[in-house]
Amino acid sequence: MKAANRAIEGPIRAAAGSPMNGVRTKRALLRIIMNVVLRLVNAAGLLLLVLIFALPFIWMLSTSLKTLPETMIFPPEWIPSHPVWKNYIDAWNTGPFLHYITNSVIISVSILLLQMLTIIPASYAFARYKFAGSGFLFSIVMVTLMIPSQLIFLPVYLELSAFKLLNTHLGLILPFASSAFGIFLLRQAFRQISDELIEAARLDQAKEWKIIARIMVPMVKPVLVTFALFSFIAHWNDYFWPLVMTTNETARTLPIGIAKIREVEGVGTWNILMAGNVILVAPILVVFFLSQRQIIKAFVYNGVK
Amino acid sequence: MTLWHKLRPYGMVAPSIIIFSLFFIYPIFYMMYLSLFDWNFISPTKTFVGIQNFVDLLSEPEFRQVLSNTTVYTVLTVALTTGLSLLLALWLNRGHFLYGIVQGAIFSPHIISLVSISLLWSWLMDPEYGLLNWVIGLFGFGKLQWLSHPSTSLISLVIVAVWKGIGYNTLVFIAGLQSIPADIYEAASLDRSKPWTTFTKLILPMLSPTIFFLVIINMIGSFQVFETIAIMTQGGPVNSTNTLVYYIYEYGFRFFKIGYASAAGVILLVIVGILTLVYFKLLSNRVHYR
Amino acid sequence: MARILLKGISKTFKDETVIQDLNLEIKDGSFTVLVGPSGCGKSTTLRMVAGLEKQSGGEIWIDDTCVNDTPPGMRDVAMVFQNYALYPTMTVRGNIEFGLKNRGVPRNERDQLVKDISEIVGLAPFLDKKPQSLSGGQRQRVALARAMVKKPKVFILDEPLSNLDAKLRNQMRTELIQLHKRLGTTFVYVTHDQVEAMSMGDEIVVMNKGAIQQADSPMKLYQDPANLFTAQFIGTPAMNIMNLQDMKGLDIRSDRPVGHVGFRPEQGILNPDRPVEGLVLKGEIVTRESLGAENIYQIRSEAGMFFVKTFLKPLESADTVQVAIPHDQLYYFGKDGGRVYGAGLQERLLVAGGAVV
Repeated sequence: MKAANRAIEGPIRAAAGSPMNGVRTKRALLRIIMNVVLRLVNAAGLLLLVLIFALPFIWMLSTSLKTLPETMIFPPEWIPSHPVWKNYIDAWNTGPFLHYITNSVIISVSILLLQMLTIIPASYAFARYKFAGSGFLFSIVMVTLMIPSQLIFLPVYLELSAFKLLNTHLGLILPFASSAFGIFLLRQAFRQISDELIEAARLDQAKEWKIIARIMVPMVKPVLVTFALFSFIAHWNDYFWPLVMTTNETARTLPIGIAKIREVEGVGTWNILMAGNVILVAPILVVFFLSQRQIIKAFVYNGVK
Repeated sequence: MTLWHKLRPYGMVAPSIIIFSLFFIYPIFYMMYLSLFDWNFISPTKTFVGIQNFVDLLSEPEFRQVLSNTTVYTVLTVALTTGLSLLLALWLNRGHFLYGIVQGAIFSPHIISLVSISLLWSWLMDPEYGLLNWVIGLFGFGKLQWLSHPSTSLISLVIVAVWKGIGYNTLVFIAGLQSIPADIYEAASLDRSKPWTTFTKLILPMLSPTIFFLVIINMIGSFQVFETIAIMTQGGPVNSTNTLVYYIYEYGFRFFKIGYASAAGVILLVIVGILTLVYFKLLSNRVHYR
Repeated sequence: MARILLKGISKTFKDETVIQDLNLEIKDGSFTVLVGPSGCGKSTTLRMVAGLEKQSGGEIWIDDTCVNDTPPGMRDVAMVFQNYALYPTMTVRGNIEFGLKNRGVPRNERDQLVKDISEIVGLAPFLDKKPQSLSGGQRQRVALARAMVKKPKVFILDEPLSNLDAKLRNQMRTELIQLHKRLGTTFVYVTHDQVEAMSMGDEIVVMNKGAIQQADSPMKLYQDPANLFTAQFIGTPAMNIMNLQDMKGLDIRSDRPVGHVGFRPEQGILNPDRPVEGLVLKGEIVTRESLGAENIYQIRSEAGMFFVKTFLKPLESADTVQVAIPHDQLYYFGKDGGRVYGAGLQERLLVAGGAVV
């Protein structure tokens, strides 16, 4: 109310005796009210937005703790009367989940490690060395960058099949042992390091590999971390590729396992399905909320290049 | 320069180049090769049929529907995602930490696997007990069939795609908005520019590289949609949600018509290739004004 | 042309009060320079006049109107930004006429105005280019043209020359001075460079920590600084300030207690051949800089280190020297930094390290 009073006093003092007095105070009051209303509407809008994104997850959690008949109550109830933790056990038991998780870990980690080993030398070479054919070779990298996995899965399947690599960890790792995106990013990062730094190191008689390992790589660490995040999440969440390249359970990963719950428990056992979904989603969500800034920065700023 | 020095760079790039050639470049050519044959994967012989696969594909009404589905899906998804996220970015571009929380919330679907999202939304869109029908019921609407009816199935998939993608797009736009220096806004205010004029004459043009970037990668991504269809609709009902990649998958892995599927793959390659070229062309035309 | 009045202006950012009770009159048609170190509040003051920053308290008057509630575009003020703030997606012509378009100026009038202004600043061949293909100096001219074409009452310039190289800067300095003479509009100019301020302004406002230290003509600032800060801010090298306690036994008669004694390096006479009435300091030359016409010596004495500048004299080779400063070139400051007027040395007293004659 203080603000309203001040708004009224001001015009009164400034225009003492003016016939516009009454209109000015009314206008000032209106402005205050409009301001408050706008703020409320804004807050409501924000809340609605958050709900649109949070409610599905909350509903997922809620469903995962219900009995099957409870899921069929309509209009739906949010809080189950007795949380059915057993659903999680059932979900877990629909398939060899430990096996799936192990596979996911082995494959995602191996891919990441191999990528680190391949992209660092390659991007360094492209960034700082002049060699015949480097333009052509780099264009191979760029073309690869443009080729999505959904385009080539069929011929790659045939390739892997010919080499008996289907249903193996190696078959799921090898095609991703390097990353065109990673080379692209890192090359840009290496290029931004000033020549003088390298010249100073060379004057210090440092061997080339030492220069790379001890000086250059630490300088591009943020980009490497960003890329690692990107790559790990992408391959951990990958459903399509492992689905196509496996015909049995040997090398299958977690996303496939979750999708298969439907086949095992039957279509419509939403409670167990959602429990399985929570198992899949929860770890990532937790990591996300802990390092939100970092993750968002990684994904967003690597897109706007 | 010693021989070692000369050879070293090649050694450094070799592993990556080999991988790319083996698993990305060669497969493209192999696929183009296969599209000229009729093969069922099991038999040792491939029958050369020239461009017959393409002729069959393009005259097949099922494939035409697939192309149409994919195009409609792409256009809707891209338009809605890009448009809505631009509006959201203008709204949410504030430093206050509450806005940071909202930004985090809308971004969360981006890092969750598409499988999880597909399963979740299958449940949300359940015609009998799904949450979505309850929500629209609050506004006075009756229950919808969502994924179960050919007239609503594609739109339902678009909704899921927009829900997943809007967070990322919004944040990219916000980054773009923040790269506009503050003094431009100040100069505009001194030039008596009204908010709408500032938006259309200054902000939009300055954002245009970002807009193009997002439109193209959204388009390329939408053309390749697979997971949601595989999990939510399997192409149905009645082929209403059959899209290119799923079609290739079915014909390759279900019906074992490798040549035919490869031909469809070549068509996808052409489309994606054109879109990529357009993007690069636009990129080089758009002058960077930094 | 307009007169600007700032009454009791204060500005608080979050919890920090950066400006408190600032009162300033900027005369109509003057070239007023706000100068001071980084963070002294000069840019903030400038932006408040333009309306880009809202003051936390006080009033701003342009001519006879209080513009407290007037939005930036309506104050008849034009601004040249430090980084030019040119609209990158528009051509030079587009940049210049944007403001005119928004005011509803009809097409032919606009074209004429743009043509005229581009001839004045020398941009005619660049009208259809975009800012990123222009050099720094050219971009600056576009910023100027954009401001000038609006024919404002007040021109505001926020460190416009700081992004240019030295040669261009000097050139633009004279051009701006000539522009001011030609237009007669009130110019308010912000810089951190005191040399730039002294050479361009007819009225200089020295600021520090959000307060005005002194507002005067360049000559008065040089000859009659009101406080320690101004005395040390103007002049290259800065005025030598010696603490009174280091000058053992110096007896000064004054109304207020004196804390510091100062003199300008150029006023110190090195090894005078004639007796000088004033303060004499004996010391040892530590460094010598020869810049052609002038030499600068750094001298260590019992009273402290100080600088002496000589013109058109051969470089002094002796190590031990005497420096004499005439009485009227000595400045006295209180312990609080304020100037003590009407003070002087007592006659005939021997001083260790110095002598009074």
